[in-house]
Amino acid sequence: MPEEIQYIGEHLLFGQIGYFVIILGFVSAIFSCVAYYFATNNEHNDSFASWRRLGRIGFITHGVSIYATIAMTFYVMIQKYYEYYYVFDHVSEDLPFKYIFSAFWEGQEGSFMLWMFWHIFLGALIMIKAGKWEAPVLSVIAAIEVFISSMILGVHIGEYKIGSNPLALFRDTTQMPLFNNEDYITQLAQFADGLNPLLQNYWMTIHPPTLFLGFASTALPFAFAIAGLWRKDHKACLQPMMRWGLFSGAILGTGILMGGAWAYEALSFGGYWAWDPVENTSLVPWLLVVAGIHTNLIAKATGYSIKSTYLFYILTFIMILYSTTLTRSGVLGDTSVHAFTEMGLEYQLLLFIIFFCIASIVFMVRGAPSVAVPEKEETLFSKEFWMFIGSLVLLFSAILITFTTSIPVYNKVAELFGYDLGLTSPLEPIQHYNKYQVWIAIFIGLFSATSQFLRYREFNWKGHQKKFYLHVGISLLVSGVISLLAAQWIQLGVWQYALMLFFAVFTIISNLDFIAFFSKIKRIHIGSFTAHAGFGIMMIGILASGLNKRHISTNVFAQRGILPEDMINENVLLIEDQPMFIKDYQVTYMGDSIVDNTRYFNVNYQRIDKNGNRYESFDLSPNALYNAKFTKVAAFNPSTKHYWGRDIFSHIAGLPPGEADIEDAKAKEDSMQYRSYSALLNTPFEVYDTMRVKEFGYDTTVIKTFKVTIEDINKSPVHHEYKPEMGDLAIGLKMKIDYPADTTSYDAEPIIVLRGSLLFNYAAQVNDLALKLKLNESTLDAVFVPESELEYKPFNFKAGEEINYNGSKIKFINFEKDPQHPGYKKEDKDIVVGAVLEATDPAGQSYAAQPIYLIRGNKPFVLKDEVPALGLHFQFVKIDPATGTITVNIAQHQQEGEIPFVMAANSFRDDYIVLEAIEFPGINFFWLGSIMMMLGLFMGMFRSLGKKLS
Amino acid sequence: MKKIHIIGVIMILLAAAALFMASDDIATYSTFAQAEKIEGKIKVAGQLVMDKEMYYNPEKDPNYFTFHIKDIEGTEKKVILYGAKPQDFEMSEQIVLTGKMTGDDFVATDMLTKCPSKYKEEELFLKESEI
Repeated sequence: MPEEIQYIGEHLLFGQIGYFVIILGFVSAIFSCVAYYFATNNEHNDSFASWRRLGRIGFITHGVSIYATIAMTFYVMIQKYYEYYYVFDHVSEDLPFKYIFSAFWEGQEGSFMLWMFWHIFLGALIMIKAGKWEAPVLSVIAAIEVFISSMILGVHIGEYKIGSNPLALFRDTTQMPLFNNEDYITQLAQFADGLNPLLQNYWMTIHPPTLFLGFASTALPFAFAIAGLWRKDHKACLQPMMRWGLFSGAILGTGILMGGAWAYEALSFGGYWAWDPVENTSLVPWLLVVAGIHTNLIAKATGYSIKSTYLFYILTFIMILYSTTLTRSGVLGDTSVHAFTEMGLEYQLLLFIIFFCIASIVFMVRGAPSVAVPEKEETLFSKEFWMFIGSLVLLFSAILITFTTSIPVYNKVAELFGYDLGLTSPLEPIQHYNKYQVWIAIFIGLFSATSQFLRYREFNWKGHQKKFYLHVGISLLVSGVISLLAAQWIQLGVWQYALMLFFAVFTIISNLDFIAFFSKIKRIHIGSFTAHAGFGIMMIGILASGLNKRHISTNVFAQRGILPEDMINENVLLIEDQPMFIKDYQVTYMGDSIVDNTRYFNVNYQRIDKNGNRYESFDLSPNALYNAKFTKVAAFNPSTKHYWGRDIFSHIAGLPPGEADIEDAKAKEDSMQYRSYSALLNTPFEVYDTMRVKEFGYDTTVIKTFKVTIEDINKSPVHHEYKPEMGDLAIGLKMKIDYPADTTSYDAEPIIVLRGSLLFNYAAQVNDLALKLKLNESTLDAVFVPESELEYKPFNFKAGEEINYNGSKIKFINFEKDPQHPGYKKEDKDIVVGAVLEATDPAGQSYAAQPIYLIRGNKPFVLKDEVPALGLHFQFVKIDPATGTITVNIAQHQQEGEIPFVMAANSFRDDYIVLEAIEFPGINFFWLGSIMMMLGLFMGMFRSLGKKLS
Repeated sequence: MKKIHIIGVIMILLAAAALFMASDDIATYSTFAQAEKIEGKIKVAGQLVMDKEMYYNPEKDPNYFTFHIKDIEGTEKKVILYGAKPQDFEMSEQIVLTGKMTGDDFVATDMLTKCPSKYKEEELFLKESEI
């Protein structure tokens, strides 16, 4: 840059403070981590208290710094200070305030801050509540915070940039010619990106905070596990680990479910789960934390599995880091539909995960040998044995999912060694995952159901086994019967799914049995019951909605020449007001309506029985969300009809080219060949046009003949896109188009409007004939006669009187006190009267006219009227109140010559939608079951809280 | 040996077997040249050929969409997708197709498009224009 530019209107303060507090936050996290480290190591020394105080000061400083950064980022976003790149990238002029939160965590920087927000919040709880665990746990949390806060540092060390500062100035991040302009900010606003329209809904407001609280919460069981190993106090850490493990399982699970609900309810993904890598990498930590909760329970009850519990909680957190690395490094780009794009943080993310892997191994190796193992081996018929196996099954599931999700990672690793593997996700990813996970579901069902009836540390199996076999036997029997019934409803296909259904039912029944017949039911069992029964119900929902999901939007009469086997007709074309038969339903596209930037397409669904009686009818309104300028569809959002037993899900799969994108519309319009025609009023004439017909890539042409008649000239025309304004000069041609080939006839009325010196053209489309009619300036010239060229003559009338004028009879019928006129808008204090006239031509045809005489503010106004068919013009110029005589100026101007217009064949229909509709049976079982699982986890957590208090 | 260890060994063996089987499903990217020699389904990654015709006319058939892509070797093929044309298809930087060659055309059963540049257009415009 040649010289220093003095920029106008920048708010530099936030950037300067931001730069400082972010570095302070980073440094204080290191400080806190180290101080707490020494506090833990000097637990029994005098220096403990001072180390802990330093640790606290560090953590609080860190918290205040990060919260200040968050607050300032929010502030600059709300104020729309586009000189900050993060603001420019995520906010726009038209972004409503309610989406500021969504815009905040749309970007990587914002989501890192959200993650830290929760760590700091949870860390503060630990500081207040955790007592002797405070120092080691917060040392771990602070270490995590060091890494995350480094992601928003934005500091350059040589070539390498560490983190990305959300409060960095735009002109510091990019070089653009615009920055040579001292007043660049005023111009930036129009280019601001704003929030991706796909993310503009309330799910984006609630899902990320929940998910990130879930992410952050996994740090607590992890930190307690490290703390337990560190302090070698393996018994005491079980309780807090358990509590936070349950908390984490509940919140992370809820966060994942919200993602599924979002995908299903508001996005056109057509389902709640797609085994997408981004989904998988958040499911894996959840599976591991649930496995950890179970071994933790075993450890508390029996003293076994303490090491496994440590391992599961450590793995949970490591997999959260793995998930973060995968989704934020751009590695998943080829295999996922919704990962972040890369930002150059790969090495930092890698360092993050490597550090915690090594640290975990070190603590494990040093702490694990001191874990006491009970002398006696657990028996085969004890609860802990099968719970442990169940946890291993969950680990299995996690390993299998991670194995396939990591395919892009294998490529990257091979690249480091100079190989190009070119691997990619399976050809049929959903089938691939289902194939293995079905067995996980079966075994989890088996183990969770049977282990209910077993006892911890079984010492008297002989005495208990009769009861065990009886209850398991009865549950199996009942489940068998119910499964057979359920199989009538769900088409299971293969036996593996039948087995899964059976064990899902078995889980529910055995849990019911247990809760009903085992005498010593405490509150402890309610949470477990709710979660496990929920698991069973969820599995049934997955089977029903997954296996029996079917596209109903198939045109049942459609015949495509050669239909390949594996091609299903997933979409159907619906022309406005033309009912269409799809599977089970008759659907009709009823029309559209626009609210703000959203266009709703109303589709009616009906079911008709054999006798022709309608027994089901509902409307769905899938919509298209347009961009701010209304030039282009940004996203299609679905609409779903919910029944108890099934959902009908539908969304728009396509719109006519011009309706989805204004540029497409322009291109199509330019490609159309308009021909000029002209015709006399009421004189039919024939038009030949060549229609291009394209069938499977082969061009053919046919010649079509139309008969076009201009029936009338309409001086107050109506068109759905035209909003009349005072002073408009509007002309419409009422036209009739006959298509002799199939003896059909259509009406059309193209319009042209002169407003000031601008011409506005509103074309008329005859969809069924693929014709488009337009008027142009010459139409206006031909039809419109300037007032100065008319030769008016005055005539006096009394009510009921009739005169002759150029062969026509004109009769003054009476006065109209409340006259209607396109050029007249009523105001208070107007004195207005209309003259009701009737003009009859020599053939005896009568026409009505109503010129108006108006006094507004002591000034008289004359509003003329016309009978275009006869070329008659009327001005009501005078009224004599005493006699009731009126004076009307009359002129005649016959429409002479032909009226020009233009017409194009091969126009594109604009009155249809392409619809995709899917039926999901039993999806409510999925939601019910999954919500019960989360509730069960919450109940467990509250119970564990209560235990501590009592 | 404890029972839990026996079970553990069995489960590790099972896991190894499952992973071994699962690795069979891992696909590799093919080129059109390879696809012509293979009977079954494959995956091809490529870029949209902008100057070749893209055809989707829902009035005729809402489940028939054709376009041309160029694979990494530069081979161009016409692709038939029996489905609707995705929104913003023209902007996709990369397209990953699953399907097989049928005659001279590639018939796709699944398609993943990648278009991160959706909202970067205006920024590019900003950078290129001399204001």
